[in-house]
Amino acid sequence: MTQPKIIVVGGGLAGLMATIRVAESGLPVDLFSIVPVKRSHSVCAQGGINAAKNQKGEGDTTAKHLDDTIYGGDFLANQPLVKRMCDEAPNIIDLLDRMGVMFNRTPEGLLDYRRFGGTLYHRTAFAGATTGQQLLYALDEQVRRHESEGKVKKFEGFTFLSAVLDDAGVCRGISAMDLRSMEVKIFPADAVIFCTGGIGAIFGRSTNSVVCTGSAQAALFQQGVDYANGEFIQVHPTSIPGEDKLRLMSESARGEGGRVWVPRNPNDTRPAKSIPESERFYFLEEWYPKYGNLVPRDIATRAIHRIVYQEKLGINGQAAVYLDVSHIDSETLDRKLEGILEIYEKFCGVDPRKEPMKVFPGMHYTMGGIWINAVDQATNVPGIYAAGECEYQYHGANRLGANSLVSCIFGGGIAGTAAVKYSNNLEKGTASVPSTIFDSEKKRQDEKNQALLSQDGAENPMTIWKEMGEIMTEHVTVTRINKNLELADSQLRALQTRYRKINLSDRTRWSNQTLNFARELENMLLLARVVTLGALARNESRGAHYKPDFPERDDANWLKTTRAKFKNGDIQLTYEPVDISLIPPRVRKYDAAK
Amino acid sequence: MSSTATRPDTNYLLRKLHSLSGIVPVGAFLAEHFWSNSAALVSAAKYDEVSRDLQTIPFRPLVEWAFIFLPMLYHAGYGIYIWIRGKSNISSYPWVGNWLYTTQRYTGLIAFAYIAWHLYTQRWLTHGKSTYAEVEQFFTNPYFLLFTAIGVLASSFHLGIGIWNFLCKWGLAATVKAQRAAGQLGFVVAFTFSLVGVLILISFRLDWHPFSYYWQK
Amino acid sequence: MAEKKVILKIKRQSSPGQPAHWEEFSLRWRPSMNIIICLRDIAENPVTRDGKKTTPVSYDSNCLEEVCGSCAMVINGKVKMACSALVDQLTQPITIEPMTKFPIVRDLAVNRQFMFDSLQRVKAWIPIDGTYSLGEGPRVAPEIQEKGYPLSRCMTCGLCLEVCPQVNSGNNFVGAAIISQVRLFNMHPTGAMHAKERIRALQGEGGIEECANVQNCVQACPKAIPLTESIAEVNREAWKQSLVGWLLG
Repeated sequence: MTQPKIIVVGGGLAGLMATIRVAESGLPVDLFSIVPVKRSHSVCAQGGINAAKNQKGEGDTTAKHLDDTIYGGDFLANQPLVKRMCDEAPNIIDLLDRMGVMFNRTPEGLLDYRRFGGTLYHRTAFAGATTGQQLLYALDEQVRRHESEGKVKKFEGFTFLSAVLDDAGVCRGISAMDLRSMEVKIFPADAVIFCTGGIGAIFGRSTNSVVCTGSAQAALFQQGVDYANGEFIQVHPTSIPGEDKLRLMSESARGEGGRVWVPRNPNDTRPAKSIPESERFYFLEEWYPKYGNLVPRDIATRAIHRIVYQEKLGINGQAAVYLDVSHIDSETLDRKLEGILEIYEKFCGVDPRKEPMKVFPGMHYTMGGIWINAVDQATNVPGIYAAGECEYQYHGANRLGANSLVSCIFGGGIAGTAAVKYSNNLEKGTASVPSTIFDSEKKRQDEKNQALLSQDGAENPMTIWKEMGEIMTEHVTVTRINKNLELADSQLRALQTRYRKINLSDRTRWSNQTLNFARELENMLLLARVVTLGALARNESRGAHYKPDFPERDDANWLKTTRAKFKNGDIQLTYEPVDISLIPPRVRKYDAAK
Repeated sequence: MSSTATRPDTNYLLRKLHSLSGIVPVGAFLAEHFWSNSAALVSAAKYDEVSRDLQTIPFRPLVEWAFIFLPMLYHAGYGIYIWIRGKSNISSYPWVGNWLYTTQRYTGLIAFAYIAWHLYTQRWLTHGKSTYAEVEQFFTNPYFLLFTAIGVLASSFHLGIGIWNFLCKWGLAATVKAQRAAGQLGFVVAFTFSLVGVLILISFRLDWHPFSYYWQK
Repeated sequence: MAEKKVILKIKRQSSPGQPAHWEEFSLRWRPSMNIIICLRDIAENPVTRDGKKTTPVSYDSNCLEEVCGSCAMVINGKVKMACSALVDQLTQPITIEPMTKFPIVRDLAVNRQFMFDSLQRVKAWIPIDGTYSLGEGPRVAPEIQEKGYPLSRCMTCGLCLEVCPQVNSGNNFVGAAIISQVRLFNMHPTGAMHAKERIRALQGEGGIEECANVQNCVQACPKAIPLTESIAEVNREAWKQSLVGWLLG
């Protein structure tokens, strides 16, 4: 009998952890990634990783970590699975520690822990300001070790196109495109684990990396894999709006006395420094006299959005407001904020000690994602598993800071083990599947490429992508209004129509990034609609999802998971209950004791 | 498996040997050579005395071949091998270290050419019995004098940069501060050797013996 | 008033075997533009300065915040990360070329697999027994962490290889980044148990002996990693290991 084979798609934290688990089991594993796995988006995580080790003698427990996570997620997460993650988190930290992660240390040589948003405990282990990078590298090294022993085979520079499903709807492998030769290739496997990250690119610009398009999720969705809680998107209030990406600007800039303002006259084109005090609109201070610039994250985010989109007061008509620390003396700034001010200087070429910074809320994290069960990361399609940011468990309606890294590693580990078990117990392995199934999938994908390469039209994929990003950012991030969401959906459908007339400016067959992007774009447009329709339907405010017309959380009607299905070529929303068996829901507010 | 796992490659050892040979014995001999020749700064008689002492070491040819000629040939030959394996990019990256790297290659080549000529004229043709008078006569030729001056400067700077390289590459100066100090040391050596070398040349050319009063006492 | 422009000259090559040629582009200037934004402008409207239609430029990129190491390219003759290369800090016309020390894929995209293979060769990992629960890791002195952390920020971008005269086609030198990783793993309490194997791997062909102390690497490193210090440390360990091994077994 031939040995089962497992495929992992995506080489971020979750994908690498899944790969390691499979390799340890002795089964062969193929790891697919668009970029070399060491360049995955996990490197961007800065803050840290949560685990209730109670290393500071504060009486922290995994139960409190669970409570913070559930509360932070506004009670939309399935609690038993989150409990397992919180219970396992200390072991995950130990594992990473054994892998040699350069965590910050106490004088005694133990791991140091810091306090993070949404908790009262020192629960976050960290490695300088690049914890995600350090963790990714540790797992990357372990995978490289397994690779050197022949247990793992990497396919870097390949993009996932579709799952291969047999007549019974069981996953038997994938089709992927070699991004150099642009060839479609078929890779049979007994189980496939998807760890394809967030969906930032459907918002045009976000804090996500270039490869975080959600294309794989959308491709699976069209093949019958359900997508859950798409409407829950976390936004960071102050990011540096670059035309290429949004880069995080730590909230400590406001903490140290930074003031947020815009010119009162939207047509004021003078340099910021020459605008007199009387003509500056310090809107946070005026609207929230009590907290001023230190209002909580979500309030700041919504206020900035209102200034730009309702009041039309963005700087020079752009989606940006000033975050000003230039009134603080530079010695204080260098002492307290040097690192973060340097980031601004490096990417904007402007010294924030002298000139106000331009910031804007940025799409940051995808809480929703591929629907998986609450036991072992399995999707509703047999043989397909998902882990990491691309799936929806663990974070509910809003993610607790420093929980993303732990959820990726935990989920990846479970998925790896589960896929091995599933494959070993398969009655009919993939080896017994007729090759016609693979051939027809390859043919389908080849035809798609051929159609894109030969069709004539007037639309440029980059332009459609930019427009999609603008629609999504304006209507589907921070403040959601039903008529705007309806408008957004119709605009997205119009873009889908225009997509059919795209014209590739590159029709070559070697390393054609335009072709790949066009394929991703089609998927992104669909996923954008899943997010928009989910938001439109959910008439309440919960976690990161805020509707001014429905400002309260509505447990009676909406304490349920959105589960989008692809039926008859369209999106269909269904709902299922949330497992709240451990902690009864209570009102979530951070200005008072919980 | 375990035996190969601890034994480094031949290339590694040859390269280490190249680096070491530049300091000991080649560099050390250069120091000795400048030291003996500086006798000219005292007087012709002192020079001839030092020269005679050196000419009369027991097993002289063996010592010369083992400690001077062979190491030097090896250092030069392997040095050229290293040179052709590198590819200068000084025009794109005109940084100090890169300049030193390039300088090290050209000074090495010049020094090697000079030393070959120097050995031929001052060691081979003289049968190893040079005297002050012969050297003085030799330097009446301005081209010989000029080439010797260039050879002296090239050798001095090659040694100075070599010391810096040696200290860094053997990890004896590892931190940024230590490596800066090693660089300063290298410069001091290069400068001192150049100065002494040029003074010796002047001494032969002008029959100038600033330390002659040592000898008279 | 004429609109402010950004003039780019990009070295194009459609595939590894094809000849390279230059194309010039004229883009609309905006504040805080970086090279990635320029390349995206071209993708949206792939027309050269003299109005000829062309293809979008292929290039590597991902995080765009200088932590993933993807977007290295030679800009105005010097190798840089494109995401942090600001147009306003560059002299125009801005020339952009692919890195020269790695096989070209297309246009500005190159294949840096050599570096990942080198990491494998020097066993740049901590060999753990398994991912099952085995308790905490060894204690690490804060001093070691403070030394190790900067080294562990190496993103395998390849800038140090690109600027090194000793890294070239006639020479398999692994480069500064890899040597620095050996130092990192040899410094960790568990990693130190296997220090000899890593050192030994660096004494093979293209190993540490190829370093000529040019120190370009440390100048070019976008993460300010003390690469020359790492090379010196590893060099010392290497000859000590050889000498002690030869003398005492």
